[in-house]
Amino acid sequence: MAKKQLSEDFYKGIEKLKPRYPTNQALLLPALHLAQKEYGWISSELMDEVAAAIDIPPPVVREVITFYTMYNLKPVGKYHMQVCTNISCALMGAEDLLHHCEKKFAIEAGETTRDGRFTITEVECLGACGTAPCVQINDDYHENLNKERLDKVLAELP
Amino acid sequence: MSELIVSKFFYNKEAAPLEYYRKHGGYEALKKALSMKPEDIIAEVKKSNLRGRGGAGFPTGMKWGFIPKESKVPKYLVCNADESEPGTFKDRAIITYSPHMMIEGMIIGSLAIGAETSYIYIRGEYVREAEYLEKALEEAYDAGLLGKNILGSGFKHNMYVHRGAGAYICGEETGLLNSLEGKRGEPRVKPPFPAIKGAFGGPTIVNNVETLANIPAILNKGGEWFAKLGKLPNSGGTRLYCVSGHVNKPGLYEFPCASVTLRELIYDHCGGIRNNRKLKAVIPGGSSAPVLLPHEIDIPLDIDPMAKAGSMLGSAGVIVIDDTWCAVKAIKRITHFYAHESCGQCTPCREGCRWMEDVLHRIEDGHGKASDMDLLLNVADNINGKTLCALGDAAAGPVMSFVKKFRQEFEDHIKGGKCPSA
Amino acid sequence: MPKCIIDGKEYEFKPGETIIQVADRNNIDIPRFCYHPALTVVAQCRMCAVEVEKMPKMQTACSTPAADGMVVHTASEKVKSMRASVMEFTLINHPLDCPICDEAGECTLQDYSYGYGAPDSRYEEERRTFIDLDMGPVIKKNMNRCIHCTRCIRFCDEVGGFREMVALKRGNWTEITTVDGKPLETEYAGNLADICPTGSLTLKDFRFKKRSWFLTRAKSICEGCSQGCNIEVHHENNTVFRLTPRENMDINKWWLCDEGRFNIKYIHSPTRVVEPAVRQDKTLTLSDWYSAVAEAKEKVHGKTLVLVATDLTLEEMKAIQEFASSKLNGAAIYHFGTEGHTKASDDKPEDNILRRTNKTSNLHGAEKLGLKGWDGQGKFDSAIVFRGGRAQLPTDLNKYVSGSIVGVGVFHEETVDGYSVILPGLSYVEKSGTVVNWQGKEQKFRKALEPIGQSRSLVDVFALWS
Repeated sequence: MAKKQLSEDFYKGIEKLKPRYPTNQALLLPALHLAQKEYGWISSELMDEVAAAIDIPPPVVREVITFYTMYNLKPVGKYHMQVCTNISCALMGAEDLLHHCEKKFAIEAGETTRDGRFTITEVECLGACGTAPCVQINDDYHENLNKERLDKVLAELP
Repeated sequence: MSELIVSKFFYNKEAAPLEYYRKHGGYEALKKALSMKPEDIIAEVKKSNLRGRGGAGFPTGMKWGFIPKESKVPKYLVCNADESEPGTFKDRAIITYSPHMMIEGMIIGSLAIGAETSYIYIRGEYVREAEYLEKALEEAYDAGLLGKNILGSGFKHNMYVHRGAGAYICGEETGLLNSLEGKRGEPRVKPPFPAIKGAFGGPTIVNNVETLANIPAILNKGGEWFAKLGKLPNSGGTRLYCVSGHVNKPGLYEFPCASVTLRELIYDHCGGIRNNRKLKAVIPGGSSAPVLLPHEIDIPLDIDPMAKAGSMLGSAGVIVIDDTWCAVKAIKRITHFYAHESCGQCTPCREGCRWMEDVLHRIEDGHGKASDMDLLLNVADNINGKTLCALGDAAAGPVMSFVKKFRQEFEDHIKGGKCPSA
Repeated sequence: MPKCIIDGKEYEFKPGETIIQVADRNNIDIPRFCYHPALTVVAQCRMCAVEVEKMPKMQTACSTPAADGMVVHTASEKVKSMRASVMEFTLINHPLDCPICDEAGECTLQDYSYGYGAPDSRYEEERRTFIDLDMGPVIKKNMNRCIHCTRCIRFCDEVGGFREMVALKRGNWTEITTVDGKPLETEYAGNLADICPTGSLTLKDFRFKKRSWFLTRAKSICEGCSQGCNIEVHHENNTVFRLTPRENMDINKWWLCDEGRFNIKYIHSPTRVVEPAVRQDKTLTLSDWYSAVAEAKEKVHGKTLVLVATDLTLEEMKAIQEFASSKLNGAAIYHFGTEGHTKASDDKPEDNILRRTNKTSNLHGAEKLGLKGWDGQGKFDSAIVFRGGRAQLPTDLNKYVSGSIVGVGVFHEETVDGYSVILPGLSYVEKSGTVVNWQGKEQKFRKALEPIGQSRSLVDVFALWS
């Protein structure tokens, strides 16, 4: 197998999770979350390393990883802006917000800015409908947004 | 204001820690439960007429009663915190402000069914909320409320947080179980039902966050008290209504079941329609619920009355749409969601959701044909009730209701060759 | 025994049986795509849905357990309309390319489309498309024809022994494929073409060779190893086009390994000796039957070694034994066929599916007739080797045989350097007979082709000899 790319912390994390589940495969979702935390996305090599780390067949990783939307199968920017455009957010102007972002960074949803700072993704309901529209930037929700408020949030990003 | 149960501590930033919760009566119900026989706990919950708060409204006590007493394989309780139904955002608040209420409910539930392990399956996007839960669990372990010997009773229980990774279908209980097991979140063929063969092959109960958060109150004050809160004989307690869309005061509202009508909720509690616009439509139970027109909203908010009115209370996600919005656009957006989230296992849902989306897209763009409305109704009918899980119904019901109730608007799109409000 | 009622008639069932199992046992036709008796039930295609009284929704027959007193309708209007709708959904993204598809004529999807579907489609949107994939030497995938029944995934996982086919992505965009498009590793890949209910997975070896409706099907037994898998020989114009497995729950269930499936090339090989041949000045020269037999009789003399291949039938072996005792006085008679397999107990399972280590069909029959395995001992003046198409020829016969060697049966030019005469015989598809598998089961098979070239049966050869 190729050289290990995942850190000690990853492997320690897996060991910590093991007692939680009666099967190895149950470790897959948490393991992929941990792997993505390190690289921001998950390459084929990482998939194989995760498979080896939790001792499951590599094809299983492919099937599972492509089923879920949160695992990035290509690199994303430093800030991954996930703009909800589902019905409650749409009613509160999410489409305008998305277009605003696209114009602001001169990219379309699904793309990353050249400097690697921002990726915009159009996502389905984030479960923040009462405080719509909502944009998730990396792990954090930003709610009750309009263009001005979003600009302010973006301006404050380090 | 009527009695609050699950939203008692909402928006109080001090309320989440264990210390605060215990100071306000937290974990007293667990103490009581530890001195009860499991069947008596189940009997109390049955008495309460608590119905599942996730969407299907199945009586919780009855569900718990399906778990076999003896089992050669471990039994599990799983808390469904996937909260993926568009329009629904109540579980997130419970987790943020009252994580221990839910955890206490889970320990009691596990005691009742004899589960030594439980999982909180939380949607992957709720990263922070998962962290809150991890913290709350740590507190509970430290205080001897979880672990090898809970409060010295000899009851052993471990509880873990399991994060999803972005899939609506994992809110469906068997899709959730597959996802918990590290598989594609595809719903399973039933039978066997989870109560017989669920997580890791063991008898399993899957309950929604709000359902479980109600359990401590039921144990503390009695099933009868809880049952009486509801205004209908078969539906006890209070309910969290999630209001989003074009109202002046969107947010979470807790009322006893069936004590408030949909109209009262929108106009009396949420301050009516924003900008003094007119109400056009309400989706009362998350985006899977068939739409209601302004003259159809004098319905008490509860499971049975809503079903009688041809819609459903579902997860109580009330989505309010005013007259500035295009009905075709709204249903296209909703249908896009179901096509995006269909797991793809079964034929009608995999093929039909995308087909409906394409036709709706065409109509919205002004390329519709007069026959499209009947086509949509027929395709939806061919999905409805014919799929492996409820996602098919969730996609078909809204389409049928929108086409029937906004037929004129569809016709205007088709005849005019464009959206009349564009 | 509990009973349920299907279409007005009462049927007994064993507790735990599903509606489709009861229906299949009683020849009640319920269409299905994803259900296969060998594989996990997934209830995905929805084609087998039936109406069950007292149940509000349609129930998939594959996943619904029969219950005592249950009343099932398999041909009601509701059932027909559901089947029609499933057919419509199934076909909206299908290319409808039957005229250029090898599956046409034996395609479940095509048959059901005629049987249960509507003549036209209401679908006017863009069809979903994928790129074709070459999945190794056996199977070619055309994903556009796929209806997502997942039989192939389940076959590889549950029968074929490798977790190598996967469903990627989800919903309408679900793609069934191998990981990163890798070639299949299973030695049972051909079965994928059999169980695929569409032309999505087809045998590369058979693609564009023959329309299935031109083929005649003969029941036969695979000669590839001592498992004795039941097969059909599909042929036209005295040419074999393919072998397919024939269900036998005691032996091969529904399956056939690739080695057995493709064991047909030699039958029509241009180097197969299909006319009597006599060696003259070191070269094998075509002859006629009378001269060749006369030559053989002359060459077989003195102390004779008779080798009987374990790919011959019981009937042939008995005839050889009689021939040897009556015509070749004092001849030593042995069987041969697979290296390292001189007795039946040398035959072992090669995997936990079907394949056996003994690579001929009738080792166990030879032993039953009292034949001993050739162990390379003794000195002989001449030898006569009887062979079907499969047995591995001993390469060092001249170490034990001082004079001529005569071959009777199926031989190829490249393997008969040391032979003086070849009397061409029949391969297993050109004859009828009986073989005994490793379980001791005697199985008869029927001839599919007329003898190729001048080849003749052993009975004919022995008649000419006397």
